[in-house]
Amino acid sequence: MNLGTRKILDNSFTAVGMGSIVVMALALLVVLTPIVYNGVGSVFFTGTIEHRTMLYKEFGRGDAKAIETQTATADRYRAEAYRMLSDFEQEMEGMSLEASRQYRSKYAPVRAAMSSLLGPLPGDPVPMLTRFQYGQTRWEKAEEKLHNILYEKKWDYSDPTVMAKAFDVPRAEEFAGTKLAPLFSYAERHLADMMQPQFTVYWGFFTDRSLDAHIFGGIWPEIQGTFFLAIGAMLFAFPLGVIAAVYFTEYAKEGFFTSILRSANSTLAGVPSIVFGLFGLAFFINTMKVSESKSVLAGALTLAIMILPTIIRAAEEAILSVPKTYKEASLGLGSTKWNTIVTVILPAALPGIITGGIISLGRAAGETAPIIFTAAVSVGSAIGIADVFSSPTPALSWNIYNLASEHEMASEIRHVQYGMVLSLVSIVLLLNLSAILLRAKISQKLKG
Amino acid sequence: MILKRILLLLTVLLFAPVDGGAADGGIVIDGSTTVGPIAKSFAAYFTGRYGVPVTVSESGSGNGAKSLINGTCDIAAMSRAMKSREIAAGATKGVSPKEHVIALDGIAIVAHPSNPVPSITKAQIAAIYQGRITRWNAVGGPNARIVVIQRESNSGTQGSFRELVMGKGVKITRDAETQASNGAVKNRVSSTPGAIGFLGLGFVDSSVKVLGVNGVMPSPATIQNGSYPVSRPLYMYTDGEPKGEVKRFIGLPETVDGKRIVEELGFIAK
Amino acid sequence: MTEEVKTDGQRSSAFVVSPQKRKMQKLAKNAGETLLLGIASFVAIIVLFIFFFVAVDAIPYFQLRGFTEFFTSTGWYPADEPGEFGALAIIYGSAMVTFGSALLAVPMGIAAAVCLSDILPFSVRQYAKPVIEMLAAIPSVAFGFFALVILAPLLQSNGGPLLMWTWWILAAPFLLLAVIVAADLLSARFAQEENRKKMALLLQSLFGLLAVLVLYVVGTKLNAIEIITGTNALNVSIILSFMALPTIVSVAEDALQSVGRELREGSYALGATRAETLLKTVLPAASSGILAAVILGIMRALGETMVVWMASGNSSHIPDPWYNYLDAVRTLTATIAGDMGEADQVTGSERYHVLFAMGLLLLVISFFSNLVSERIVVRQRKILSGQ
Repeated sequence: MNLGTRKILDNSFTAVGMGSIVVMALALLVVLTPIVYNGVGSVFFTGTIEHRTMLYKEFGRGDAKAIETQTATADRYRAEAYRMLSDFEQEMEGMSLEASRQYRSKYAPVRAAMSSLLGPLPGDPVPMLTRFQYGQTRWEKAEEKLHNILYEKKWDYSDPTVMAKAFDVPRAEEFAGTKLAPLFSYAERHLADMMQPQFTVYWGFFTDRSLDAHIFGGIWPEIQGTFFLAIGAMLFAFPLGVIAAVYFTEYAKEGFFTSILRSANSTLAGVPSIVFGLFGLAFFINTMKVSESKSVLAGALTLAIMILPTIIRAAEEAILSVPKTYKEASLGLGSTKWNTIVTVILPAALPGIITGGIISLGRAAGETAPIIFTAAVSVGSAIGIADVFSSPTPALSWNIYNLASEHEMASEIRHVQYGMVLSLVSIVLLLNLSAILLRAKISQKLKG
Repeated sequence: MILKRILLLLTVLLFAPVDGGAADGGIVIDGSTTVGPIAKSFAAYFTGRYGVPVTVSESGSGNGAKSLINGTCDIAAMSRAMKSREIAAGATKGVSPKEHVIALDGIAIVAHPSNPVPSITKAQIAAIYQGRITRWNAVGGPNARIVVIQRESNSGTQGSFRELVMGKGVKITRDAETQASNGAVKNRVSSTPGAIGFLGLGFVDSSVKVLGVNGVMPSPATIQNGSYPVSRPLYMYTDGEPKGEVKRFIGLPETVDGKRIVEELGFIAK
Repeated sequence: MTEEVKTDGQRSSAFVVSPQKRKMQKLAKNAGETLLLGIASFVAIIVLFIFFFVAVDAIPYFQLRGFTEFFTSTGWYPADEPGEFGALAIIYGSAMVTFGSALLAVPMGIAAAVCLSDILPFSVRQYAKPVIEMLAAIPSVAFGFFALVILAPLLQSNGGPLLMWTWWILAAPFLLLAVIVAADLLSARFAQEENRKKMALLLQSLFGLLAVLVLYVVGTKLNAIEIITGTNALNVSIILSFMALPTIVSVAEDALQSVGRELREGSYALGATRAETLLKTVLPAASSGILAAVILGIMRALGETMVVWMASGNSSHIPDPWYNYLDAVRTLTATIAGDMGEADQVTGSERYHVLFAMGLLLLVISFFSNLVSERIVVRQRKILSGQ
């Protein structure tokens, strides 16, 4: 092979390696960008007056005066629209039976779209469900609904042998000549007046309870549940893991038994997470009966077992990286072995151990499969700390699944789902980031 | 520092007063995703009105029955009647499930809105779900593959669908895609032009096209008068006669407010 | 000892330990060490417990139904009376997505590991590592959400063009390379010294044309593909490969690092380029460690639940044709997660136990692959240190 070709091959080999790293970085970017972009939208968005009213009524927050004046303005513009609706309803009364029936079937969707934009129309009974008590709380949704008011989406079914194409029919044409006709241009012109959009920063998304199955409100119960589970798991796993690591590094004699123990550790690390869930169900709930059914305790125990190998490994590495001289100096001063471990080795290894702990904490917070059968419920209020022994809890990871693929209005509440995903990802990544920084600091310190 | 804090938390946790079983703290509901919206809305209403916390898990009708039998929930929400095997299992544990019909529900057969087929017969639906009809042109539609979407086998909706449409013991084709809930079926159908699926009437919205069955469209009227052939009651089960708060909760569908909640959700009050 | 105490007794007794106290200390030390050992063996006990409790609930299934149906039938109708519990299609689905993800993740992972250990300067490596760690840290449900909400609709609406562009971007550089190498090799073989350059040029343009043709034809074929369902084996394989990559990269990098400098320097001294050194010397030397990395990465993909549950379509059939990655599949993990709903533990039905049987299958597979990868790593360490 000639030298030029060999050089090209050499360079392309480098390129392939770089390429794969770039692909990985891109993968990270591609996954994170939409999550961050849309997730931020759950807190920072253009909110309508409905959002502020909802917050005021349900959570008692907001500037009552400002809301009152804005509502008054909005109501002034809305009154005009409502008047057109009622005028048309009266007009229909006077029509021939045939004409009125025709208009009535076309009018029903307009009315429904109006009430979904603005909330219950005057004269309607107050709906029982919170989701129907308010109009659109987010501006972009309000614009969508406006489109539904202005246009009727129709499908061209004339040729049954092809899939139909959708087309929009302006409703203004369908109601031309009636008293409803001006409504459409009015709604288009005065949407902002009726909705009073305003840039909103809704920190309550993280601290509020959810209303009506996450259609309004925040995700506090999920965040709290995630913390309970993750911290609960750490409470069990961290002390056990550190002690086991001390044994492996300081006391264990190399031999058959120790190698079995080490094997067990790596086996545990490789067990699929769903199998932990099965085990948690079969052992903690059905056999040990730590709780009657799903509970935070059962979930935390299951997660603890899952993260134990990671903690042991990290703690072992941290202990091994403590310079031998420390230990020798301490022993030389007449300290006992145990004393040396507690007063010299562990403090020196602590940052490293904590790094491992933080990473495991993130892992416990992010896992879903082990808590499906042991701890997670789809809807529930935040539980008190006293209830962790008996009550299940909602948790971010499980509720992301639940809202994204089981919720009846999954595609309507994407912003909540993105908000949850972003919260979970940021909790986990922030934990990891702090671990990375901590580790960098340690290695710097060790370098001197 | 951190260790100290963890220790502090540990002590707090250990000495925190332990609450009793689930039932004293509130009402626990487990079961069907079809009944889920009703259960969740009732729960919100009930908590708001009487201050009693209610937790709702939507893990499938079968799971609801299991939880009731195991005594881990107060109310099992089910989209099918309890099977004799489940009742027998309950008896061995001293649990006697009591049935309460809370609403009626039609199972809507849905397709993507671009699908020009207006209505199909029960026999055609059965043939599609058995895998004997695989293209839409066999039922008067375009020449496109049918993407069959069904529910998980623990779903009461799936059980009712098979019983009502396909007949006992007839199996759904293996090629059918399986979704975990009504909401998921709706999402899949609304995003897949060739899809067919079935879901509770309460879940239907404009993103999917409801197909008539034998020429009848599902609606409160056609379901109540029985002319729409695919409908079933929705249930809640309690252990024996309900008492206290649970009784009040189970009584909700009889109240005016309860009926309105059911209807606002798109189900039919009984 | 005792004499010492006697003689030194009056001078200082502070440093002297009475025999009784000494005994106590020894006892405490032994008790402490036993306790430590107990806690350290806790992990082993848990592993035993996991096997025991999963097996206890799995064995009744095999007692009730035997092994044949589970492993050979594709009929999965667990809710029927009587039920059918053929898990073959589900096992196949698991294998399919695992294989698919390995196909993507293994070459990329090894290339990235080589790059990290041998090519990138230390300053760049510092920034590449956190990227990998972050990729590993993202919770699986977030990946699942991405697969379901973003990737699936994208595949469904723009699947064909997407496949075409991916093919072009990936295949073009490799084909170009192949053209250059082939032309070089052939001209070296068949042409005289003086004609060699001309011959190479001719062959290059000839093969180049051929390559462009291949690119174009395959591209248009891919472009014409209409993906009917976005929640399919391809979607899941892609996401699972993201999740398996960090494991493969970090373990493989360790293996490469453990190959000493001497081997590399020897190879360079013989006039090999870096690529040749890596391919012919370093990779073979680290091959067993890399194999271990691959096994661990595959296990990560096989054991993953949320992504496959949310985005695989969950239909329990063997795709038609069997290699059709654009069809929906169902995996073991997703079946356990999704079917536990029915799982009536009260009567101990087959439905409940069959899920544990699947769990046991996963557990056994993970156990053996762990064992194998561990053996491999230990052996490699021995061989390398022996040299």
